[in-house]
Order: sequence, then structure tokens, then C-alpha cells
Amino acid sequence: MSVQVDKDLLDGLIDSEILYQEAPCGYVSLLPDGTIIKLNNTLLTWLSYTSKSLLYKKKFTDLLSKGGKIHFEMFFKPMIGVKGHVKELSYEILKKDGSILPVLLSAKAMKDVSGTVLAINIAVYDITDRKSYEAELLKAKKIAEEEKRTFQFLADLIPEMIWTATANGNIDYVNQRFIQYFNLPEKGFKPSSVLSRIFTEDRKKFIEAWRKSIRIGSDLHIEIRLDNYLGNSEWHLIKAVRYVNEDGVITKWFGSCISTEEHVLALKAKDDFISIASHELKTPITSLKGTLQLMEKMKSSHPDPMMHKLVDRANRNVNKTISLIDDLLNVGRINEGQLYLNKKRSIIFEVINDCCNHIKNETDFDILVKGDPSIEADVDEGRIEQVIINLINNAIKYAPESVIIEVSYEKTGQEIKVSVTDQGPGIPLEKLPHLFERYYQVESNNGGKTGLGLGLYICAEIIKKHNGEMGVESEPGKGSTFWFTLPA
Amino acid sequence: MWDYRYMESILKRNNVQIIGKGDQVILFAHGFGCDQQSWKYIVDSFTDDYQVVLFDYVGSGKSDLSQYDSFKYGNLNGYAQDVLDICEALQLKDSIFVGHSVSSMIGILAAIKQPAYFQKLVFIGPSPRYLNDEDYTGGFERADLENLFEFMDSNYLGWSSALAPAIMGNPDRPELGEFLTDSFCSNDPVIAREFARVTFFSDNRADLDKLRIKSLTLQCSEDIIAPLEVGNYVNKHTADNSLFIMRATGHCPHISEPEETIRAIKAFI
Repeated sequence: MSVQVDKDLLDGLIDSEILYQEAPCGYVSLLPDGTIIKLNNTLLTWLSYTSKSLLYKKKFTDLLSKGGKIHFEMFFKPMIGVKGHVKELSYEILKKDGSILPVLLSAKAMKDVSGTVLAINIAVYDITDRKSYEAELLKAKKIAEEEKRTFQFLADLIPEMIWTATANGNIDYVNQRFIQYFNLPEKGFKPSSVLSRIFTEDRKKFIEAWRKSIRIGSDLHIEIRLDNYLGNSEWHLIKAVRYVNEDGVITKWFGSCISTEEHVLALKAKDDFISIASHELKTPITSLKGTLQLMEKMKSSHPDPMMHKLVDRANRNVNKTISLIDDLLNVGRINEGQLYLNKKRSIIFEVINDCCNHIKNETDFDILVKGDPSIEADVDEGRIEQVIINLINNAIKYAPESVIIEVSYEKTGQEIKVSVTDQGPGIPLEKLPHLFERYYQVESNNGGKTGLGLGLYICAEIIKKHNGEMGVESEPGKGSTFWFTLPA
Repeated sequence: MWDYRYMESILKRNNVQIIGKGDQVILFAHGFGCDQQSWKYIVDSFTDDYQVVLFDYVGSGKSDLSQYDSFKYGNLNGYAQDVLDICEALQLKDSIFVGHSVSSMIGILAAIKQPAYFQKLVFIGPSPRYLNDEDYTGGFERADLENLFEFMDSNYLGWSSALAPAIMGNPDRPELGEFLTDSFCSNDPVIAREFARVTFFSDNRADLDKLRIKSLTLQCSEDIIAPLEVGNYVNKHTADNSLFIMRATGHCPHISEPEETIRAIKAFI
């Protein structure tokens, strides 16, 4: 179906004079010197002027503020001259009452054949609403910038080093303290150059841990030495937490480097003291032990039965003391890297069994050993026994209500895994990561702290020396499993 | 030692164009807010007898924006150094310098420092100081200029100017200039703002009498940027300066009245 078009009617609807006068935008035409020579009703209404008061009498710049006039001379006119047109320049036209009409001007020059400008036609668009929107936008931007400055200031004030990195681990911000510590240039340093400021021996360890964090998206927590601007290395705890955006994607890392130098130095002082003290104690205790051995031999001929008990008790206590001093001496050796192994091919079952027999003589706990009796490994028997005895003793001490303590072992691939499982109360989750730390003491059942906090630390170091790993799994109310691995 | 690469880097930095044939060189230096395109109506009249050198200041036109340094270009000497660098790179001697608007003062600073590069200077609408002062009419009060700066700010990319600096600060985004189809007078807004402040807050009155090169002042009628009083002041305080009052109105006679401008320059050189 075709529409019957009444061309005359439609032409009559669109009268070009009305179109000009009542257009939705203002029109104004100027001579090259700016004199207004024609303008439409729309613009006159906006400005509240009559055409008589403007035509041939005023220049367009008379309707502009001083700043607007300068801008018109320096931008509008050269652009019209060179390009022949301007597009969407933002101006403010003064209305008759002195108030302001924000507008966009688009203009075209009318030129003669030689290229001389004869007149300029300008279309004027009222942008009052857009202007107020723009003002709000500017305000919001200023607020955001202010906030950013506040946080920057805060970050720079903090006495610890703070940094951020992109999702793939490139450092993209560091605070003032960071720059000071490494004495970096304020601008234009390569964040990767900071890697070279990690103490040589710790660098590989750090890079591996950082890469792993980035790969699997886990938080970073590592203690390394950083070379300061004087070239001295100081211990720092490096932490980084991931920032996950609304879509669940890691978009950023927030990190800190907290100085632990004082803590580490204090620990070192403690180690030094303990090492000296335990060496000093060792000699008189050994002599005491010799004396007691003599008394042991002589006690049968003593008439008072009390003497038997006293000698036995003294012997037990001197043995405990010797074992404590041995622990302290072991720590000293570990610290100085002097823990040497005397490895030989051993049957694991026998090693474990020896320990169990030893303990069974002293307690009435049931110790169940499970595993293939043919499994062998290269180990320092004495040291591994020390580890197993320690684990079983811990089970007895911290899980006294266990009916059975199970020692199991198995070979998987190139690894032998030995586990000691109790049915005690379990260990609170937050304590698990610290159990193998030096001087970490766990409260015993009656609430007091017992021991030196060295047993598990020494065990872990012995296993490390065997190129194995040590760990713990625990479920409150059900029990704990301490395990270690050895290369098969 | 002549370093070819250095020369190349300067010519690229300032988007230097060399056209025309002739023994003597004319260096055309654009004014604030524009670039070398502003010379398009008069250049052709010189290319038969002169070698014409056109360029954009760093931060304007098609110059290398990455070379912009707020500190260096924080006063007109930075821009004068651009001119001297170009003269050195092209090994100029006894050239004619034509500067529009702020380039007049930039030319004076360059010519005081290295007079050997220049034989004559032409100033189009010069002003040694735009702000009024005691016993001096520059034509502007500080509030007028702040008003102008507001206009400039609101005119970069129209209403989106509020966000433009944020876009530009983002290294993943292309240069703002690449968005603009019409680069004339659409320089980087941050640079333009700084250039405007340097231009309008400079005071070079004390430099005028240090100039030892012959010069011409072309003064337009009805120029609100550089009014007649200012042209007279320049003429009075500059040794060996001739003043020519043009029929042309406004601030850009080389655009609005190219014929008259060409005649006036030719008569002098």
C-alpha cells in the first residue's frame, strides 16, 4: 500500500523562514569584524533582547565577558580563519539582565572565491542542563582526587613500607618509607630493581614464594632480609594480600614489609645466651650424673630403704635435666648449621619399634605400629628415633585420654611418610602454623606452659636435614596427626 | 662535533617543516593556542625568495608531547630554547624571525641570548606584559585572565573535559590528541593551561632594551589582546624598532588580512 503524498501541503508545513526563526537552536550571523547582522527569534527570546537593539549596533563579543572576548580572539577567530569552521566551542553569553546563558557554538565561515571571509554563521545551543551536570562531575572528580591525596598522605606517614602490585605481580605503587629505605629515586625507578635489594641468600626463596602466591592466588607471608640504602641487610616480614574485585577476579595485591630486625636480634641474643648457658651446665651435670651412677651401685649396701628411692629419684631428674640440656645444645648446633647426620640404610619398622619398646617400658599406653616391615631408608637412626620419641611423648603428654597411639608409615612414590596419631582433644586451628617455631609453647591440659618449646622445632630441623617435610593435621575433638616424610 | 641524530630529534620534537628556495631563512613562530597552520595564508608569498622554516612549540600542534616538561616550559625561556635548538640544528645564521603574539617575546629572549642566529625580527601583536601595572596599561586584570582560563578549561573536548585528564593519565589509552580530528587549537589541555599561564603572567618589559637586533612591530587596530598602548610601549622601549599600525582588526592579521600582513613584512625585510 502506498501513501498518497500531498506535496504542496507538506511543503507548506515546512516554511524555511519559520524554520529559521523558531529553530530549536539560536542562529546569529556576523561580519568578519564581529558585527551582528542577523539573528533568530529563538536566540532573542533566550537573551531577552529585541532585534532592534542588537542588529548592526553590537558586536558578538559585546555579549561576552572579558575572558570570553579574549578566547574569541585567540581561538574562535583563528580557527574560523584557518579551518573555515568551529565545532562545539563552549561559551557563556550574557543575557540582557546580565545573567549567563551557557552555550555551545558551532560556526561556518562564508567565503568569496578568493577565500576571504565575508560572514560567519553561528548556531547556538543552550547547554544549561549539561553545564550543571558537568559542574557536578567536576566536583565529584575533585572529591575523588582529594580522597586519593588523603590516602597517599596516610600511606606516606606510616612508618612501615607499603606497596601495591598488579594482578601479575608488578609493583605499581610504593609509599615514601619504601623509597627512603631503599633510597630510590622519587620518579621513574624500575620496581623490578628492588628485587636486587633482597639479601642474596633469600632472593630465590622470595621469588619462589611470590610466584606461587600469584599462581595459586594465596596470600604471601615470608621473612627475608632486605638491603637498606647503606647496604646493610635487615630482617623483614613481607606480607601481601590479594584484592578481589566484584567479579571475583584478583585485580591487585596490597603488601607491606614490616621490619622484624629487632625481633630477630632479640632471638639471636636469646640463642647466644642459651648456647653459653647450656655448655656451662653440661660439665657439672655430667659430673653429677657420674656421681649418681656410683651411688646407684652403692645403694644396695645401704641399710635405709629411703636411700634407694632418693637415688632413683635423683637419677630420673638428672636424666630429665640432661635431656633438656641436650635439646638446648641441639638448638645451638642447628643455629650454627652444625647438625650433622650419620646416615645408614635402615629398616624403618625396626627404628620405630625400638622407640616404642623404649616408651612402653615407662608407660602403659598402647602403641600400635602399622606398616610394611620391608621398607628401608637412609637415615640417621639416632636422630629419627629422637623425632619419633618426641612425637609419641607429645601425644602422651597432650592427649593423655588417648587409648591408642598409632604410629603408621607407608611408601608412596619416592617418599616414606611416617604418622603419629592420637585421639586427644586436637589443636586449635590458629596454633597449627606456629607449632614448629622455635620457643613456641603450647598450654598443657592444666593451663600451664610446659617445656622449652624446642622439641618440635628440633624434630622439624632434623627432618629438613634429611630432605623431608614435617607437618600436622588436627581436628578439635577428634585428635591430631603429626607426620614427616623421608626420601625413600 | 656535529651530531646528526641530535638534529633529527630536535626537528621531530618541534615538528619542523622546511619549504621554499632562497638563501635567507625566515622562521615563523606561532602564537599561543595555535600551531604552524596559522601561517598558511602568508607562507606561499615567501617561498619563492626565502627558505621558510615552520615549527610547533613542544606541547602544541604535532610536536612530541612526551618531551613536554612543566619545569622547563614553566617560563618563556624554555620556549626560547626551542627556537635556539632549531636554529642550532639547522645551523642558521642571520635569519629573519617572525613571531605572532607571545612568540614576539620568545623571539626577543632567543635573540638576546644568541644574536648571531638573527638578522631581523618581526613582531605581530606583541605584548611584554598583559596585566595592567602601575603606570602601565597591559589591557588585563587578573580576574579577566582567570575567566579566560575557565573558558579554556571548559573548551577542551567540551563538557567531557572534566574527565579528559583522567583518560590521559591512563597509560593504556592513546594520546588525547588521537581522538581529535581537528588538531588546530586543540592542544593537550594540561599543557595549554600551563602555556596560557606562562604567556599571560610573563613580564618581559625589562628585556626590550636588551635587544640589539633591528625589529618591526605590526600593530592591529582594535586588538583587545595587544592594544595600541602596548604596541607604542614596545616601540618606545625597543632600540631600532619600527611601528606599523595595520588596517586589520583583531589579533591575527596574518589570518584575517594576509595581503596587508605580507606587504608589511616584505617592506621591512
